[in-house]
Amino acid sequence: MPEIRLEGLCKTFGDTVAADGLSLDIADGEYVCILGPTGAGKTTCMRMICGLTRPDSGRVYFDGEDITDKDIDLRETTMLSQTYALFPNMNVYGNVKFAPTIKEWPEESSKQIVKSMLHMVHLEKKAEWKVGELSGGQQQRIALARALASGSKVLLLDEPLRALDARLRIDLRKELRAMAKGMNLTCIHVTHDQDEALEMADRIAVIRHGRIIQSGTPMEVFQDPATPFVANFVGRSNMITGKVVNSDGVTTDIEAAGGKVFKARASDLQAGEEAVLAIKVGSTKISHLSGEGQEMFCSGRVERMLYEGATITVELAVDGLGLISAKLPNRKYEDYRPGDEVAVHWMPSKASVFRIPEGGLEKELRLDRWER
Amino acid sequence: MRFVKRLDELSGNPKARRSWTYLAVFFFVVVILIPSVFVLTKMLTDWDLVSEVLDDSDAVAIIEGAAWNSFSIAFIVTMIDIVVGLPMAWILVRRQFKARRYLDALMDVPLAFPTAVLGISVVIFWGVPSEGVTIPGLGLVVSPYLMIVLLHIIFTYPYMVRSLSAILEQIDTNYETAAMTLGASRWTAVRTITLPLFRAGLATGFILCFARSLSETGGTYIALTMMGKQSTFFTGPTYIGYLKDIGSADDAMGAMILVSVVMIVVALILLILVRRLIAKLKIPMKKIWPEFGRRISRGLLPKAKDGIAYAFLFIMVLLPSFYIFMYLTQPIPSLDYGTLFSSIGISFLIAGAAVVIDILFGIPVAMQIARHKNSKLSRILDELVNVPLIIPTTALGFSLALFWGSIGQASELAIVLVILGHVAFTYPLVVRNITGAIEEVDPAYEEVAMTLGAKPFQAFRKILLPIVKSSVFAGGILAFTRSLGETGATISISDSVNAVPIYITELVGRGDYADAAMCSIILIIICFILTMAVRHLTRGGDDGA
Repeated sequence: MPEIRLEGLCKTFGDTVAADGLSLDIADGEYVCILGPTGAGKTTCMRMICGLTRPDSGRVYFDGEDITDKDIDLRETTMLSQTYALFPNMNVYGNVKFAPTIKEWPEESSKQIVKSMLHMVHLEKKAEWKVGELSGGQQQRIALARALASGSKVLLLDEPLRALDARLRIDLRKELRAMAKGMNLTCIHVTHDQDEALEMADRIAVIRHGRIIQSGTPMEVFQDPATPFVANFVGRSNMITGKVVNSDGVTTDIEAAGGKVFKARASDLQAGEEAVLAIKVGSTKISHLSGEGQEMFCSGRVERMLYEGATITVELAVDGLGLISAKLPNRKYEDYRPGDEVAVHWMPSKASVFRIPEGGLEKELRLDRWER
Repeated sequence: MRFVKRLDELSGNPKARRSWTYLAVFFFVVVILIPSVFVLTKMLTDWDLVSEVLDDSDAVAIIEGAAWNSFSIAFIVTMIDIVVGLPMAWILVRRQFKARRYLDALMDVPLAFPTAVLGISVVIFWGVPSEGVTIPGLGLVVSPYLMIVLLHIIFTYPYMVRSLSAILEQIDTNYETAAMTLGASRWTAVRTITLPLFRAGLATGFILCFARSLSETGGTYIALTMMGKQSTFFTGPTYIGYLKDIGSADDAMGAMILVSVVMIVVALILLILVRRLIAKLKIPMKKIWPEFGRRISRGLLPKAKDGIAYAFLFIMVLLPSFYIFMYLTQPIPSLDYGTLFSSIGISFLIAGAAVVIDILFGIPVAMQIARHKNSKLSRILDELVNVPLIIPTTALGFSLALFWGSIGQASELAIVLVILGHVAFTYPLVVRNITGAIEEVDPAYEEVAMTLGAKPFQAFRKILLPIVKSSVFAGGILAFTRSLGETGATISISDSVNAVPIYITELVGRGDYADAAMCSIILIIICFILTMAVRHLTRGGDDGA
């Protein structure tokens, strides 16, 4: 029963740094999502776990045993590739039976395993089909059945839902997680889709620039991001920069351009420091102006209303700050219209506050590839 | 099975894997590459012989003439191939029609014919009947130069069409469609969008055709013999063959070294130049003539272009190739079946052994090139693999004989040397084919197989090899037929190995055209059955899996 520990993994390909001191602990039976933008080093991290890529330095441990130099085929970590990679020279049955055959398990029990795996993914009737005849979702399930039939206790999922239609992708999230949990596997699931990670993971590890910058439960990562980048990548945030004017252990108050003061949760920042406040668009509240005594940080003018189905997004122009967005339930759609002046407010405990990152906020929030 | 299992285990060791790759690379360099160009060092060590030739102005004039003929013919032939090959490639890739499969198959026919056979067929078709030829031809009195151009077009044309259509297949039609929805006429769209994307295919096609024409010995020699010009008109390879025939060894040695060196050096320079130039070649884009483009995109012109492409294929390529079957209308001569079948046996032995060696030592090199694209070794190998392809086979064979001769006494091992020679010029064909196929296969297949518990060698033989199997066979067939038709390399390595094209050449030399033609027909039929059988077998394998 594997417990995985990655310790200071580094890997460069030419000028590209794919892992830069990457460390992560994964508990036995845990479903971990490694979440990050394209080029953050997600796939390299996974390939180092299963042995397809050797790290330049750093170690990989399974259950305390250093397996950094162990052969791929002996690690019992099975990868589910984003293209499924169902072997085109075999039919469905041959694919699922590949690992039992390679491992020379007794014929009878191999057959049993294949049968029960096909049954589990509800595709026992397709055993004799060619892989090209399967739909995307079926291919995905067969790839899963093949991985599970190998008896591995670690399952690596490389963007396993990426190639599927949007709807199916969402349906399969639960199914995939349930199967993995049912078999008591340790799962490492790589994705750039934050919704997928939030919904599926026991724990999310946010990766950037070849390093894990935060790891925690979906709620922790969402509500208490470790950096402005995480705040914006896992659920969009409004960002406000300014100077700390009060940090009293109850709230941290920031004075932004134009003298407006915004409140966030308590922090170790000191008065006078440059800081950035991040508040999730879903926690940003707006209301019509109602005169004296109204609790508000600032006012803004409604610029655009976006109807998104269950939610709406209201974009406000705030003098000196630019755009601030608020995500509201769709029943509020009739309440506002472009041109309205509204008050902006939120619960200070919902807002995070960070020191201004080195190199500036804009660089911190960039999603594209890392350049040195 | 035990042995395979050992290999499986061994393949888990990265050192063992690397050693195998290095062994294959070593084999390529030592057994193929160095012997192929060994003659270059021979020129330095035996400079006396060469300088004697250089002092003889008559000999120099002949050598200059032969080299000029070779290169100018190769160039003209390649240019014609490009012009007529392009529309044909277009038809094969972009048009949907029922007979396309047959057209596709017909395209490869000239490759399956030994060039010696084509030599006979072409001269009879176009030319004035030689003495002893009983089949009526078109009776055109053409110069040997023109006759050789006509001959070389036949076996280079398929290479050009194949290279161009391979690239064309990869070019998404969406580019053209997008250009046309933006207001370009078809002609303008093709000229400004598709053609510039074509350069890679053009370079490959150019090199293949040029090299093939440059190398060809058997068919050229036969054509010249039938025209009675074999001792007055030379190309580089036929001159080497001629010297081997008549010269006492020492007199001819200097001249042979010189011709070989000239052919190899110029060919290599051209290879480098073509690669550089075609990559930089700019198709003029500044000026667009929309009206002109529109006019020639409509009406009769596009149809005329296709018509000309078909006409060229049938009149210039297929008819002259098949013309030899006219001999079936003649009374069948009594053949020396013993000699014929023993020579066919020898040819098959050589070709078969060469192909097996090609595949065994070619796969690791192909894997290295395809799977480690960015490594320096791969890039160097990628370039070097082409070298034996561009070197004229006669010069290559001569060089090879010198190399092994200088190491030990070679005469008893003549057949082994001939096999090595054939390995040298067929190896690139096999490696190219397999490399291309492996590049197409997503590495995820092997990687997933390994995470499922397969050793690298198991992943290779259970997953990758079955997927690229058909390309391996295609490369094998290509190499096999190429070896079967080769005359120049065999002659220049040894006089004692009587392969079938040499036997046919001999018959022509004696004026026994009818015998030569019948032998050719038998050979073609055997080749045809063989290729069909291999195709069938490989296809049967797919269904079974």
